[in-house]
Amino acid sequence: MPASQPLWLRVVLRVERAIGEPIESAVRSDTYFDLISTTTRVRRRVTGTAEGVSRRCLHLLNLPAESDIRGMRQQLSRMERRLNELSDDVAELDGSEPPPGVGT
Amino acid sequence: MNPRVPSTLNPGDLLQRVNRDVERSILRARNGIRYVRGTHRPALGATPKDVVWKSGKAELWRYKGGDRRYGPPVVIVHSLVSRSYILDLRPGNSTVEYLTGAGLDVFMLDWGVPDELDADNDLERYVDWYLPRALAEVRRVTGHDEVTLAGYCLGGVLAALYAAGHEDANVRNLILMATPMDFNEMGAMVALLREGRLDPDEMIDETGNVPADALYSGFYMLAPTTEVAQKATLLENLWNDEFVEGFQAMATWSRDHVPFPGAAFRQLVELLVRQNILMTGSMPLGGRQIDLAGVRGNVLNAMAERDNVVPPAAVEPVMGLVGDPGRREELRLPGGHVTFGTGRSAFKHTMPKLTNWIIDHSDPLS
Repeated sequence: MPASQPLWLRVVLRVERAIGEPIESAVRSDTYFDLISTTTRVRRRVTGTAEGVSRRCLHLLNLPAESDIRGMRQQLSRMERRLNELSDDVAELDGSEPPPGVGT
Repeated sequence: MNPRVPSTLNPGDLLQRVNRDVERSILRARNGIRYVRGTHRPALGATPKDVVWKSGKAELWRYKGGDRRYGPPVVIVHSLVSRSYILDLRPGNSTVEYLTGAGLDVFMLDWGVPDELDADNDLERYVDWYLPRALAEVRRVTGHDEVTLAGYCLGGVLAALYAAGHEDANVRNLILMATPMDFNEMGAMVALLREGRLDPDEMIDETGNVPADALYSGFYMLAPTTEVAQKATLLENLWNDEFVEGFQAMATWSRDHVPFPGAAFRQLVELLVRQNILMTGSMPLGGRQIDLAGVRGNVLNAMAERDNVVPPAAVEPVMGLVGDPGRREELRLPGGHVTFGTGRSAFKHTMPKLTNWIIDHSDPLS
């Protein structure tokens, strides 16, 4: 810690380390790991349940839910990916693209 | 004069000090307003460049610079988790600018920002599809058969797999910057996945990728309180335009992560994290086994001694695994993970040492 730093800054930096070091060891502990994985799973489950309920309600009104739109976007993405691959293949067959390297 | 009277009581010095403090307070107020309003943001990744190749989100940039005095060209392969402008942070503080200024012909392979379209991108896509094509373009535009390939962080893993897995790679020099080999040494975030407490699919969102927020949270949790210290240091140095600009640039970069393609993430977790397969010296990819010792060029293993993202212990095994033992060199640098791009230590140590190593292993151009 440079001596040229004002007193208030030295105090803040010391306090930050005093608090930060135990927190940093806590976030590397098994308890924290368990908490993170449980939180992630619970959040996914809650989101999934809420989505399921809202989907059923929207379908009753013959409206698409976000999950329907998401599914459609995924299908479109798959199709676009396939089109891109085909267009790359065609470009390489035409010789307009450099040939790929040879895997060993 | 009484020798016990402190020099600070000298009226001339006192006046000077008051003047300085008043001046700094005015500058602090001005820079504080600018900072809060978000104006005067520094130009990031500003070194002039041309896009010489593009496929999907991936782009290959060739930097414009002074005279190109050395060959082969240097191709930087960036990581999949962060933005490449860390290596070209801002004018006067940029590794790319330093390298081009030294007479090197510098290219950057930037992976862009993945979305749903990239969710199926696996490691093969990067190692066997993008890299060979981008490097073929480098060879075409420069007329050089050989390249110096420099991978940063996970980009180093891709670069090493490419150099080892392709007969025609022609990599004269392979530079691995903070490149993890031993994933058992990668710390808490990776341990969660390794121990199966978290499945890769639990981290993948509806786009099929790991969201950038998840990656940011992971890095943030390594040291959650340091932001307080950083903000306090900023407050003290708010009068200093150069400091504020550097702080803003780094703060922007450290929050600016990109989504990680889901397919590559699943492979990374299974092969690199859970099986720690790179430590065996070979890895199955694209239906063949890639032997890391098969890299034919010179290998420079550069690591940062205070790196808490990719700790030195995760990087050190490169020296026993990649390339010919007689052509491996190690470079230990003071500083953290970003010393390859920015910071006082980068200017003092990283940039000159990396540049000199590359020039020593290159040819002068006639």
